[in-house]
Parts: sequence; structure tokens; C-alpha cells
Amino acid sequence: MADNSVSFRMTNKQNCFKCFQPKVEEFGAAHDLPTKAIFHLTLSLDELVTNIISYGYADYDEHPIDVTISLSDDVITIRIEDDSEPFNIFEAPEPTFDVPLEDRESLGGMGIHLVKNMVDEIDYKREDGKNILLLKKKICEKCCPADG
Amino acid sequence: MAMTESKEKGIIILAVDGNLDADGTLAMEEKVLALLEGGATQLLFDFSGLDYINSSGLRVLVLSYQRLKKVSGKVAICGVKDYIQEVFEVSGYDKIFSLYAERADALSGM
Repeated sequence: MADNSVSFRMTNKQNCFKCFQPKVEEFGAAHDLPTKAIFHLTLSLDELVTNIISYGYADYDEHPIDVTISLSDDVITIRIEDDSEPFNIFEAPEPTFDVPLEDRESLGGMGIHLVKNMVDEIDYKREDGKNILLLKKKICEKCCPADG
Repeated sequence: MAMTESKEKGIIILAVDGNLDADGTLAMEEKVLALLEGGATQLLFDFSGLDYINSSGLRVLVLSYQRLKKVSGKVAICGVKDYIQEVFEVSGYDKIFSLYAERADALSGM
């Protein structure tokens, strides 16, 4: 039986996608997760970690970003912990859907909007100078067909 | 990520295979900008071999849409896998881009 959880540390100075993508793929394969679910998890991590690295730090130092992915009772949980500036995902601005695309000056907010739609539950807390984000996604064949 | 460029019926086709991660997206953006600066007005992205895209990748598509809209050009996308199609739907971009199942459909529909 494959381990039900995997933890790893990246830093803001690394090419994080190349760090976490193989780990998500490996975890997904070990637990026979649907392709679509693996994509949703990879995309969520990508958008959030990119956000942290792009906007999170006021200095030029190296900072750790700790990730744990776990599976319990058909629910995948991703925990991301970082010491970047406070970022409450629930306060992030949504894309300007009411402005026609050709007139939109900013395309910001789409990454976070995608994340909110890829997972079932999000919890955020700020604790001891760290952002702790929990994403939960229910895995079921019906909502994520294996060949999807 | 690998890109293959071709031209058919005056339409420039950019086939993108593999992952549009940060590096892949940057390479695609450079390619698209070069095509637009070279005067391309009809652009078809063939994503039948595409396994991954994120919001940065979508942004490059929107950029080409915005640029081509100004010169009455066209941009379309074909062959997206269904889990990538969902990203277009969630972002609302499925209403803006013409999405075709097959390259041939796109070439005759554009």
C-alpha cells in the first residue's frame, strides 16, 4: 500500500513546478487517482506557489515553501505553508468578468479563480507569521471519470 | 514542451505539445509575439498534444486575441483535452475563443 501522505520543501528560488509536478504525478499514480484530479491538484499548486513567489516577498532572500499532500477517505488534502506576506485567498480580487475581454486591461485574478473552482474546500489561516492554506478535493469516479 | 508551426489556407497553425508550464509559456509567448509582429492575422492553436496549461498560458492566448481583434484577425483553438476544456469554461474564455474538436474543423470554420 502506498504512503497516504507525501511532504516536501521547496524554496522561492527554485523552479517549483519542476519540483512538485513529479511528486503530484507519483502520488496520483500510487493511489490510482483520475487524470483529471491530478491535473486539478497540479494546477492548484502551480497557481498558488507562483502567486507566493511572484508577490509574496518583500526581500530577495531564499524562503521555504512546505507542501504536504495526503489522501484519506477519498479526500485529497494539500497543505501549503509559507512565510510570505499575509495572503488571504478569500480576499483576493476576482477577475473582471463584466468587462469584455478585448477591453480588459488586467487579466489578474484568474489563477486564484481557477483554484477556487478546482477544489471543494479551502481553509486559510495566518499563524506565527506564516500563511497556512488547506485545500480539500473529493475524489470520486463520478465527478472525475478515469479517462477524463 | 514542443511547438510546430505550419500554414494552411492562409492560417498559421501552432501545434503545442507537452506542458505549458512557466518555461513553456514563455517560449510560446515569444513565438506568438514574433508571429503577430510578422503580420499573422489568422492564428490556430492546435492543442491536441497539450497536457498542461495554467493561467499564464491562458494569458498568452488572450493577448493574441486582443491583438488580433484590433486588426480584424482571428484566433481559434482546436483539439483540447476535456480536462483542459474545463479550464476554458471556468475562466469564461470558452465564450471568446472558437474551440474546435479537430484541426480540419477549425480550418474550414475559421
